[in-house]
Amino acid sequence: MFFIVAFLILFLTYTALFGIHVQNGDNSTTVIKGAGDIRWGIDIRGGVEATFSPETTQKATKDQLNSAKSIIELRMVKNNITDYEIYTDYNNDRIIVRFPWKNDEKSFDPESAVKELSATALLTFREGGEYTTTETGSDGQPVYKTPKGTTAEKIILQGADVTSAKSEMTQDETTGKSSYLVALELSGDGAKKFAEATERLNGQTISIWMDDVMISAPRVDAVITDGKCTITGNFTAQEASALAAKINAGALPFKLSTTNFSSINPSLGDSSLDAMFLAGCIAFALVSLFMLIVFRLPGLIAVIALMGQVALSFAAVSGYFPFLPSFTLTLPGLAGIILSVGMGVDANIITATRIKEELWAGKTLDGSIQRGDENSFWAIFDGNITVIIVALILMLVFGPTNILSLFFGPSTTGSIYSFGYTLLIGVIGNFLMGVTATRLMTKSISGFQFARNKWLYGGAAQ
Amino acid sequence: MKKFHIGFFEHRKIYFAISIGIMLVGLIFNFIYGTQLDIKFTGGAVLRYSYTGTIDQEDVQRIVQQTTDKPVTVTVSKDVKKTGNSAKNNVSLSFAGTESLSLEKQQAVAADLAKEYPNAHFTVVESNSINPVMGRDFLLKCVISIVIAFLLLIIYIALRFKKIGGASAGAMAIIALLHDVLMVYFTFIIFRMPLNDNFIAVVLTILGYSLNDTIIIYDRIRENRRLMGPRTEYSVLVDTSINQTFTRSVYTASCTFLSIATVFVVGAVFGLDTVKTFALPMMVGIVTGCYSSVCIAGPLYVMWQNHKAKQRLENVPAKKSKK
Repeated sequence: MFFIVAFLILFLTYTALFGIHVQNGDNSTTVIKGAGDIRWGIDIRGGVEATFSPETTQKATKDQLNSAKSIIELRMVKNNITDYEIYTDYNNDRIIVRFPWKNDEKSFDPESAVKELSATALLTFREGGEYTTTETGSDGQPVYKTPKGTTAEKIILQGADVTSAKSEMTQDETTGKSSYLVALELSGDGAKKFAEATERLNGQTISIWMDDVMISAPRVDAVITDGKCTITGNFTAQEASALAAKINAGALPFKLSTTNFSSINPSLGDSSLDAMFLAGCIAFALVSLFMLIVFRLPGLIAVIALMGQVALSFAAVSGYFPFLPSFTLTLPGLAGIILSVGMGVDANIITATRIKEELWAGKTLDGSIQRGDENSFWAIFDGNITVIIVALILMLVFGPTNILSLFFGPSTTGSIYSFGYTLLIGVIGNFLMGVTATRLMTKSISGFQFARNKWLYGGAAQ
Repeated sequence: MKKFHIGFFEHRKIYFAISIGIMLVGLIFNFIYGTQLDIKFTGGAVLRYSYTGTIDQEDVQRIVQQTTDKPVTVTVSKDVKKTGNSAKNNVSLSFAGTESLSLEKQQAVAADLAKEYPNAHFTVVESNSINPVMGRDFLLKCVISIVIAFLLLIIYIALRFKKIGGASAGAMAIIALLHDVLMVYFTFIIFRMPLNDNFIAVVLTILGYSLNDTIIIYDRIRENRRLMGPRTEYSVLVDTSINQTFTRSVYTASCTFLSIATVFVVGAVFGLDTVKTFALPMMVGIVTGCYSSVCIAGPLYVMWQNHKAKQRLENVPAKKSKK
């Protein structure tokens, strides 16, 4: 039993740290994500956080904010920023964006990058669908950039010509199959221009561009004179509403202004990651040494259990478990792991001291372990539950959607949420490792002849 | 095995005096320096650049003030340790007022500085520009979360420790917690660190940690109440319990302290301010968290129970009290 549990923990530790990769020719496929796949917060690896608000006195509608959000997303993809986080706060009209700054980029110029994200969107309908470059976006779909040829020259409509875009569902009368489309409404001026263009280009392509990126290239099926047209294609509901939001963004009645802006240079981020890693290793070594010297065999078991707990914490943020999505780990998040490991050390100390006490009170080895486990359980339980309460409050208050959303809207800062999350995971890990696994291992190893000496458990030498 | 026989209840006045003394010192510092709130709470702007060579502080101040129309404080720190071998200097510009600084202005500052010192290679290390409304919201949220945490913790202790006078036990635990929060607060004041989100994270961590300490002692009291019988005096009961858990308290506190101290030392070596301002108050919090559970919460609980017992005696008819 001892060896099984110890082996399982070591296996978990190893895989959680290094992951499992399968080499298939030149491609290495990640089967299980390791600590190397952890997504670090911008406070660790450098990056930018910005909050955008509409520059109007009127309250923006949900649709308008969604449009603004989709345009920011589009521009991030265009700039090869794939690993971003974006939140929309509908109550307070805020859009919060966070993205890392890539290390290979020489110039660190976050001001320009953010300015570009919030610039007024330029929506154009152009003749044809010719583009210069193709790139692969974050969702694996190709991104077509920079119009060329006639497409570059001939602009049919601009953002101001579009009054609204909506996604709609229609049902085929004969097959009964439902499909999604985007319905556009054009202004009087736009309708005229569009009527002329659709007449001329019937059967050909009119492409829709946002800034420098082609967002759609529908074919003209009919001449449209009333300023009402639909874009069909094999859209899913999401695709249709995303396209509608993008088109609307080009017709937004307000400018976005940057109200909050923070940036951290990646070189600074790098050194903090190194530092935290170093600090973690030294701290773990010191604690292990302490436990081994003071508690001997239970100390060794405690070190194994602690390893498991740390591994579990990393696994929970790296996306090791399929049911837990990967989580951005920030400095406060690391602090949460450190604190929960502290709680794990405490759980082991309480149990080991209790066993020691029983031994010195003259009990047998098995009796001492039994009593020590029982006596210490409720103290550990109560202590950990209170920490869970604190962690849950942090997550509820600072989470993306939270109990205080009513008053404050969704979170403006993710760092404290991250602390709560890792703390919660750590304490759950503590119940699993520091309590359950430790006890299993202690009981089991005490059954072996070589481990029957009371001295090994802190008792008097025999 | 070593056993402790420390009269925690007997010496309570010394402990109370120590705590009150430290708080008074903190209060004096607070009067002299005032409470600084970080721009994360108040709003405002701080830019930090790295550069090579030498710059003139007053010159920089003049240029930046001209560009932004805002009073600015310039702090230069030389030879900041960075990754790689090149030692670089840092200059940080903190702008007065609580308004955020627009991106255009930030770019203008960088451009004007580069013009004046073409060889200094100014690079943004860190920049923060926070809108005052959002800062205030964030502060409010932090305060509310701490208040909710306190309330839920009292309720939990009251439920779990019914047998030893749940509500009073909860209240005493909370006094010990307030003690720790104050200590962490004074650490920020004495070391003149502005209160920021680190402060909130430390306070919440210490709440959980110190309460854990207190609970482990209460758990022992609960157990000993059963073992020693209801006739045992509160002072004996509590002192025995604290002494029995003392080994564990010291071990755990030293282990945690050791870990956080490591983080602090490494953070200091690498020159990471965020890590340092997190670890230092945390170290203080761990010590006071352990101290308050052992030396404050226990004795206070005894005093409260004795006080209640005395009241009960006084309410008994005069016949008995004459004796």
